[in-house]
Amino acid sequence: MIPASPPATEKNKALGRLDLRVKKQFTAAKNGTPGFSLDVSVSAEAGITILFGRSGSGKSTLLDCISGLLQPEGGRVVLNAETGETVLFDSEKSINVSPAQRAVGYVFQNLALFPHLTVKANVEYGLAHLPRELRQQRRTEILQLFHCGQLADRKPDEISGGERQRVALARTLITEPRILLLDEPLSALDVGTKLKILEDLQAWNEKRHIPILYVTHSPGEAMRLGENVIYLESGRVLAQGKAEIIRQYAADEI
Amino acid sequence: MNWQAIILTLRLAVTVSAVLIIIGLPLGYWIAFSRWRWKFLIESLVAMPLVLPPTVLGFYFLLLLGRGGIVGAWLYRIFGVILPFSFAGLVIASVLYSMPFAVQPLVVGFAGVDRKLIAASALLGASRLRTFLRVILPLSLTHLLTAVVLSFAHTLGEFGVVLMVGGNIPGVTRTISIAIYDNVQALNYASANQNALCLLIFSFVILSVVYALNRRASFFGAAP
Repeated sequence: MIPASPPATEKNKALGRLDLRVKKQFTAAKNGTPGFSLDVSVSAEAGITILFGRSGSGKSTLLDCISGLLQPEGGRVVLNAETGETVLFDSEKSINVSPAQRAVGYVFQNLALFPHLTVKANVEYGLAHLPRELRQQRRTEILQLFHCGQLADRKPDEISGGERQRVALARTLITEPRILLLDEPLSALDVGTKLKILEDLQAWNEKRHIPILYVTHSPGEAMRLGENVIYLESGRVLAQGKAEIIRQYAADEI
Repeated sequence: MNWQAIILTLRLAVTVSAVLIIIGLPLGYWIAFSRWRWKFLIESLVAMPLVLPPTVLGFYFLLLLGRGGIVGAWLYRIFGVILPFSFAGLVIASVLYSMPFAVQPLVVGFAGVDRKLIAASALLGASRLRTFLRVILPLSLTHLLTAVVLSFAHTLGEFGVVLMVGGNIPGVTRTISIAIYDNVQALNYASANQNALCLLIFSFVILSVVYALNRRASFFGAAP
């Protein structure tokens, strides 16, 4: 079990809650891809929420809709924070903030580190608007937090898999996102490494209390990591609650 | 050695390559990423010089941009410019004629960049221009090099368009290929040989350099 998120007192409950209502239809393609419809209405509090589902259940599609890479046909994506409500998407009011303006951190499964840039340049990529000294300072801090300080001048193909995951996280977190989406970025790692990285992530989030959606298709992993779990199946929320719901619905797979 | 023709040819090739890259970068980006349903029409238009004889292009160039043509008459009236049989006219015609050699490699390069990298750049707050300059272009450097060299080499070896549009004016439109043609017509084989050999060796050296560099793609810090 990873260290528990800070207790959900009334105060930090209000800190960064993600409210989602997303509808998206994919018609069957001529090449045999079957049609698919995503219809999800769900909230995620500050801290880590596990988004669990088998492959093809719509997990990544949901993350794409939250980040703005895909545009849902209907629904709302809203972040409720201390400072008030931020609407990222609202089909009725025709609000659709572009991915670059959403301040949603998204770490892909393949990490998408820029292969031609050093770790340093990768991590500073999202800080182009800041003066150089500030960029360097923030970069040094975050690389230290994720134990990657010594890698600054290497290229992504010169570091290990676990190090790449840490760098990818650091690159996203340095931009101070309001929501963090993790699409199985740690799936290739052994449990020990994975838990260490998640500890660092928890430490980072202690001061910030942003909602973190962690996607996994492994029931065992969902049980181990999760306090809060959203169980997705065929584009619908099958259940939401504590990790035990996994035992209930996916007992045969554990 | 016909230095005047050689220098003119190089000047033409350099100018045309430069113009083609300036046009080719945005055009290639648009073709690679646009989802416009009629995009294929623009793609066909760009690729046309690959199938058409240069005489067709040259013919319509003269018809349109000649002093009697719709555009040409206007240009003459307003700016006093006559494009046919001038260096500027030669540049314009060559740009059109070599367009696919610049645009195609760029489209292939841009479209080959991992979409996740482009998405990641946007999610980190980068504008489209910044994503292009910091991610897409650096990862397409070998394709950019190919585009430059092919434009350059193709202009170097051009004959039909130059003959149609430029004619044969020493120092203005007489390129090496035209000079060689002239020499042969005049049965002056020694001069023809000199110029031809010069072009042959030069072309071989350039292409060899490109292929050598492409083989060491990592030299540019990115795989194609």
